[in-house]
Formats: sequence, structure tokens, C-alpha cells
Amino acid sequence: MHIPDGFLDPKISIGMLGAAVAVLAYSMAKVKESVTALAPQEAFAAVGKGVKNLAGQSRRILTKFGEQKIYKMGMVAALVFAAQMFNFPIAYGTSGHLIGGVLAVVLLGPFAGVLVIAAVLVVQALFFADGGLLVMGANIINMAFFGALLPYYIYAGLKRFIPEWLSIGAAAWCSVVMAALAASFEIGLSGTFALGAVLSSMLKVHIVIGIAEAAITVALVYMFRKLFGAKEKV
Amino acid sequence: MKKLLLLSILIVILAAFFASAHPDGLEKVAEHLGFMDKGIERSSLMTDYSVSLVPYEGISTALAGIIGVFICLGLFWGAGLLLKKT
Repeated sequence: MHIPDGFLDPKISIGMLGAAVAVLAYSMAKVKESVTALAPQEAFAAVGKGVKNLAGQSRRILTKFGEQKIYKMGMVAALVFAAQMFNFPIAYGTSGHLIGGVLAVVLLGPFAGVLVIAAVLVVQALFFADGGLLVMGANIINMAFFGALLPYYIYAGLKRFIPEWLSIGAAAWCSVVMAALAASFEIGLSGTFALGAVLSSMLKVHIVIGIAEAAITVALVYMFRKLFGAKEKV
Repeated sequence: MKKLLLLSILIVILAAFFASAHPDGLEKVAEHLGFMDKGIERSSLMTDYSVSLVPYEGISTALAGIIGVFICLGLFWGAGLLLKKT
């Protein structure tokens, strides 16, 4: 679902770029907070730095947990990138591929998951010309915000009432449909094509692709947890 | 972790040889409604997931995918190393 350059009006592209930067900056701050801890001031005193000099500037250092978490983010990014390459056939000469947003947020939590999906999208656009440059913000909003961050809360909410695998599947299906809706609105509002026609065509296809997304996401979540082993709590 | 990396590489290799070549959902809609030509074709280092130095399509795609897997991994592991130092 990577929008190429040219599909969107530059005004919409720039607006989406701003929104994406805001989402990523917030996510990055959240993740940084979780992977670091305030350095105890005695540690600085011990290496000869006066505690007084540190007033107002609390240094944060990477924790052991944080280090593991970042390694895990790398593994999830690699897996999402790989899985996105696997286009599977659906009806009418069309294919679909995983977005992997729900996969990332279920394994990593909402904010680390968003960063992973955004990173994969940036790598795809820069190195593989998959997805445009000016529209990168729109792609990040579609697939990392509507495809990962929001469905995380669907997953977390549903998990309290239904088995986890079912909530993962439901969130994954929603993620594809929401991303498709977002992309349709961007294309429609850009005046590229009539909004109604884009919406109905995109929905029709992605309702089906979402089913595959759900099945693949559930399978990969359990596979990842099994292979990642004891460090699952990271 | 090694097993997970191998899983990613395995998926990439399978994708290189068995993935559907049909347009994806968005591309299909754009073709069907007739606004595909508004898209601007770009080229990059590994356009369309292929390494131009390798003449065999499947191998070229697999190689591009494996490089991509390592770029994604390296991005975060590099960030981890940087954070560790400071």
C-alpha cells in the first residue's frame, strides 16, 4: 500500500509529513524514556564531576533492558521488511502483502512498534524506490499510525474480553482497512480521482487482504515469541 | 536471535522466487480507475527489489532482500550502540 510520488497533492503530502514527524517525535521520546534510566548522580561524582555541575541536566543512560529492547526492535524491523516482500495472490489478478503494523506493536508495544514500521518504510523508499519521497509522511501516517499505533489499542482493548490470538487477528484486519481508508482519503482529497470511487475500490480489495494480514500476523507473532526465547518480556 | 534472522532471510528468499507478481491492492485500484500514470517512477539503489549487477531475477531479488533485512537490523543495532556509548 505504498503511495508513489505524484498520487497526492503536494499540500496534502507536506501536511502528512508534518503529522508524521509529530507522531515519530512523540514515539521516539516515549521509547527513549523506556530504554534509558536517570543516571545516579553518585556515578558522576565518582568520575570526578561535581554533582553541582549537573544541576538541571539529568543524564539518562541506556539500561540493560533498553539494550535488549533495541536489539529486539531491529529483529522485528528485519522480519517486517522480509514479510512485506512476500506478495500473496488474492482474487482478480491482485496481490497483497503484509503491513506488519500489528505484528510490530504486539511484539514491541505501541511506540517502539511505530518507530519500527516507519523505519522499514523509510528504508523501502530510500533504497528500493518503494513508496515516494514527498509522500513518505502520508505512507508513515497510513501504515505506522493507522496501521500500527491505533490498532494497538484495538488489540489491547479486545484482549481483555477475547483470546489473545483473536484480538491480534481482529486488530490486524482493522489495521489494513484503516490504512486503506486513510490512503483513499488522501488520494481523493488530492483530487487525483473521485473520493467515493477510490474509497469503495480500496475497501473492496483490502477487506480481503486484511484477512491474510490477520492470519499471517497471528502466525508470525507466535513464531517470533518462540524463536526470541526467554527475553520475551523485553 | 540467530534463528529469527534466519527466518527473515528464509522469507526473503521464498518471496524472491514465489511471491505474486500481480499489482498490490493500491496499484490494482489505481490501474482499474486509471490514475496509475499519475505516479512518478523513481529509481534508487535497488529499484524494484533487485540488484542490477546480478542478471538472474530471483537471485537478484533475494540478494536485494537480504541486504534490506540487514539495513533494517543495522539501523536499530547501530542506534543501540550509539546510545550505549553516550
